[in-house]
Amino acid sequence: MTSLKRSLASDPYASNISSKVYVRSTKSGKVQKIVREVYLRQDIPCSSKLCSACLKTAPRDASGTLPPFVLSDTPAGTKEFPQGHYLVPDTNALLNAMDLFEHNSAFYDVIILQTVLEELRNRSLPLYNRLIGLTKSEDKRFYVFFNDFRLETYVTREVGESINDRNDRAVRKAVHWYSEHLTQSVKTAGQRKINPAIVMLSDDKDNLSKAKADGISASSLEKYVAGLENSDQLLDMISVAKENREMKDANAKAAENLYQEYFSVSKMMTGVKNGTLHQGIFNVSPYNYLEGSVHVPAFDKSLLVLGRENINRSVQGDVVVIEILPKDQWKEPSTKIIEEDTLNKNENPDAEDGEQVVTERERRALQEEVKQVHSKGTEGRAQPTARVVGVVKRNWRQYVGHIDESSVSQAAKQSRKQQMVFLIPMDKRIPKIRVRTRQAGEIIGKRVLVTIDSWDRDSRYPVGHFVRSLGDLETKGAETEALLLEYDVQYRPFPKAVLDCLPKEGHNWIVPPSMDDPGWVNRRDLRGLQICSIDPIGCQDIDDALHARPLPNGNFEVGVHIADVSHFVKPNNAMDAEASIRGTTVYLVDKRIDMLPMLLGTDLCSLKPYVERYAFSAIWEITPDAEIVNSEFTKSVIKSREAFSYQDAQNRVDDASQQDELTTAMRTLLMLSKKFKQKRMDAGALSLSSPEVRVETESETSDPIDVKTKEHLDTMSLVEEFMLLANCSVAAKIYDAFPQTAMLRRHGAPPKTNFEELANQLKVKRNLELKTDSSKALADSLDACVDPQEPFFNTLVRIMATRCMMSAEYFCSGTQAYPEFRHYGLASEIYTHFTSPIRRYADLVAHRQLAAAIDYEQLDASVRSKGKLEAVCKNINVRHRNAQQAGRASIEYYVGQALKGRIVEEEGFVMKVFSNGFVVFVPRFGIESLIRLRDLADIEPESTFDAENYILKTSGSREVEVELFEKVVVRISDVVEEGTGKRKVKLELVKTGSK
Amino acid sequence: MPLDTSTYSLALLRLDGRRWNELRRLTAQISTQAAADGSSYLEMGNTKVICTVTGPAEGKRTGGAGTGGGNEAEVRVEIGIAGFSGVDRKRRGRNDKRISEMQTTISNTFASSLFTHLYPHSTININIHILSQDGSLLAACLNASTLALIDAGIPMRNYICACTAGSTSSHSANDEAADPLLDLNNLEEQELPFLTVATVGESDEVAVLVLETRVQMGRLEGMLAVGVDGCKQVREILDGVVRRRGKRILESAAV
Repeated sequence: MTSLKRSLASDPYASNISSKVYVRSTKSGKVQKIVREVYLRQDIPCSSKLCSACLKTAPRDASGTLPPFVLSDTPAGTKEFPQGHYLVPDTNALLNAMDLFEHNSAFYDVIILQTVLEELRNRSLPLYNRLIGLTKSEDKRFYVFFNDFRLETYVTREVGESINDRNDRAVRKAVHWYSEHLTQSVKTAGQRKINPAIVMLSDDKDNLSKAKADGISASSLEKYVAGLENSDQLLDMISVAKENREMKDANAKAAENLYQEYFSVSKMMTGVKNGTLHQGIFNVSPYNYLEGSVHVPAFDKSLLVLGRENINRSVQGDVVVIEILPKDQWKEPSTKIIEEDTLNKNENPDAEDGEQVVTERERRALQEEVKQVHSKGTEGRAQPTARVVGVVKRNWRQYVGHIDESSVSQAAKQSRKQQMVFLIPMDKRIPKIRVRTRQAGEIIGKRVLVTIDSWDRDSRYPVGHFVRSLGDLETKGAETEALLLEYDVQYRPFPKAVLDCLPKEGHNWIVPPSMDDPGWVNRRDLRGLQICSIDPIGCQDIDDALHARPLPNGNFEVGVHIADVSHFVKPNNAMDAEASIRGTTVYLVDKRIDMLPMLLGTDLCSLKPYVERYAFSAIWEITPDAEIVNSEFTKSVIKSREAFSYQDAQNRVDDASQQDELTTAMRTLLMLSKKFKQKRMDAGALSLSSPEVRVETESETSDPIDVKTKEHLDTMSLVEEFMLLANCSVAAKIYDAFPQTAMLRRHGAPPKTNFEELANQLKVKRNLELKTDSSKALADSLDACVDPQEPFFNTLVRIMATRCMMSAEYFCSGTQAYPEFRHYGLASEIYTHFTSPIRRYADLVAHRQLAAAIDYEQLDASVRSKGKLEAVCKNINVRHRNAQQAGRASIEYYVGQALKGRIVEEEGFVMKVFSNGFVVFVPRFGIESLIRLRDLADIEPESTFDAENYILKTSGSREVEVELFEKVVVRISDVVEEGTGKRKVKLELVKTGSK
Repeated sequence: MPLDTSTYSLALLRLDGRRWNELRRLTAQISTQAAADGSSYLEMGNTKVICTVTGPAEGKRTGGAGTGGGNEAEVRVEIGIAGFSGVDRKRRGRNDKRISEMQTTISNTFASSLFTHLYPHSTININIHILSQDGSLLAACLNASTLALIDAGIPMRNYICACTAGSTSSHSANDEAADPLLDLNNLEEQELPFLTVATVGESDEVAVLVLETRVQMGRLEGMLAVGVDGCKQVREILDGVVRRRGKRILESAAV
């Protein structure tokens, strides 16, 4: 008989093969046992430039290139380690202070161990991704050492040893190996080279003391940072989460838990599965920080979450699990404005114990509402109300804000003593954040960036740490950067890798004169056409140009020519990756954050006049009745004859004496565009409205001087109509070619409930009916919403209706059924973005797909993979929304600056009425602001609020009656809030409407 | 959650600590079951396979007009996957498409490399039992069959040696600098594009090539080259096993 059992000695691998066995549970709750092989080896280099031994055995990739060694031969030192040092952080150090490691002034030459990397990935994926980013940056010199694959540093878990202890031991062993290895290699090198210390950074006391016992140099983060030059600044960046944990251990019994404990994950998941609990994204009401709503699939209407206890530590944007409260506890959405900074102004950030979750004032503010519900009886408008029982995923990011000056103790302003202060985030929906800092005195009056570290049950507010200061409040630089950070706009200059992708010729690049050049292959020569572009004044990134000419058969040939960005931005290079992350160009009042480098955006791609440029053209034959006879798409070379501004173009069209070819072409286009528009309107396209103003700035200092509302010119809708036409035709074409992976844009029909309130308001106040059955019905009923005395009323209603809509989104055609492709607002069956590839990434993808659809080039794999495209869509949807919000916020800031020191009286309209205030919209400046009852007079007047009729009556110190949609006159001024040092536009009621 | 294949570029190390061009530990034995005409046991990493060969034997008439009735021997392959072999306990039915495809591939390969014309009207049965799965399953089956057939003494043209080759980044990542990989384990097979290749002996003659994942044209050549190279390494190992066995038989015969 032969036996299958091998003797270990005969196996050449025996010494260096090991296996890793672990147990994991899957999403569905199954437990799996995974067995994996681990091959231990001795050719993993230390990657120090000091070492020559490793260089010989270092591995090469398939093409034979050797990855360069990372760690410097002259690493920086500190007082404690004057000979220089390499740092080896353990997992806790990275978890607590990733911001530190990203800092520019210190933390170079860092060795990241595989053990640590794996553990970090388990603990926090975002941190892991940030760390991977660091290891890729060349100047930070981070090296990942795969200690668990190296024979000398591999550690097997001992019986009874916890996984954490095993990992700590692995870290210590690797540190030990490194220092011996380097001593050895420096010695053999023979030269008088310095031998750097290997310093383990850890926050684990146990680990530190064991390291000391093993004779390894180790240091706690704090101790290490204290030895650095700018230690104060750096110390603040260490997360307080850890300290808190320790403190909590100390007085575990003393601290009272203010919030209810979260359910366990498995309890939440089973609850969600069988429908007793619900999961959704937590949204805070912009008017009341104690009221949140969560939309869950099981209910049409969002569920209310009222009060701090029920909100239970969730923050705007978190994915939460909620439990519906019994019906007798249902409330209606508040009719009252509650702002955090006015209620809890004088809290002490240091107070730890004896705190109440709900302050007395908050309780009173909420109690009034409860009363209201009861008085109205059961048929009131109470909504399902819920409480948060757990958070599935935190949406915490870095927040911009300013320090609440009143929370800083006077004595501490000068001293360097560490103290707790409150940070008030710019975003009103985010609660105050407690931040521990040593630089309180310095950062008062500055815009600062902080992150939230934790929010424990015993703390009323989340606890965070200071990241950096952006500059003084109200300085242009700081405020702009704050905006960009708040909306997560990537504004750093393009890295070198991206700039390397640009054409070498730079600004001297021209369309190759010889038609034999590869650039001309399959490109049509359209240089002879009378093409022109029409854009806003001062536009530098010209995406589109147009032409029209009569055909012998009486029809017209119309062409839309779009900058051929896909010629310059090839898929999968650094520039493409950067553009796909940025997603869109962001326009601020005084600044533009480009998606593509300037060279492309404003020169090589831009369809500037008088020069030849590559373009992607869509050409149609159109009858005089605006019927499309046929359409085709081609890559081309064009030469734009002129770049008009909307105003210039309008003037030229209106001037009957101008009879040249370009002007007649524009007249043709205008005529056709009006017919197209009419057709769209007949099909049920909506014309929506949003308050749009333009800030005029002084040309040199770019200080705001004036605010103008945007004018509308015919030439604007000319361009718009043809862009829509191009987008729709392209959408149909790429969907036809790639039914699964076309990049499209859809606009969902809004659920009826969205319009309920507006419809009710119109019915009660004006006896108008808002039909929302289809976009056509809505368009018609919006047209009917007119007030003969008040021309602006219609616009006001449109603005309010726009807010009830869903937002349009990019999607990949394979993820939706065809009927879902519909663009509600444009009443188009299928739609995409094609016409602005310089400033939108979606258009660039559409360009690549269209190029493949007309067999111009091969479709790259990345735009053919559904999963990849979905990820791209998800990103650009977010970026698009953020860019819009950032643009709006920028205008808002500049309007405030333009009004600085002025007092103006203007007409406004009441948009929303609360029981203790109302919102007024001023069309002249596009501002929307709140007037509270207590702003009306020195002593807050008594008031009665008629919620059914949207009327607020005051009596006592001042008698006014305010109702919805009413025209009022307000005095606009700017004030600096004492508590915060923040400038705000303030409205005061001068007189109420005509009635 | 341990690391995934994206970390390869950090230090040119794969998930189990191998380099791009390294095979896993490959060990094998032949004549493991005395009752069979030929048998083998083969491990490629954690993929473990037992193979037994019976025949050539007279084909059964009841099978109807099978090819076994012709002038050449018929090669029948039966693969059984043990319930405990994978991470999840999965029951596979008789008509599992994956299994029958592997069976057909193996039977076609050996039908053309065995001297089947020597055994008219007969059948050669290859029975493969998979005890543990960790990637490169088809390759392991082919290698084990080669050994068992040699053990059974059925004349063949040359060794059929197989292994898998992949690429370090997925199709959609479209990374230009992707390295080819040799001998993928289960985890890598799930994330990365890969092919199974088998060659005839030391030659570059490809007997089997199966590619079921999407991969860029440009990377295919590199993958194939690495795969063929791997097959040569596999041949050396199999050859060693056979020679060791032969030596032992000679020694015992001499006594």
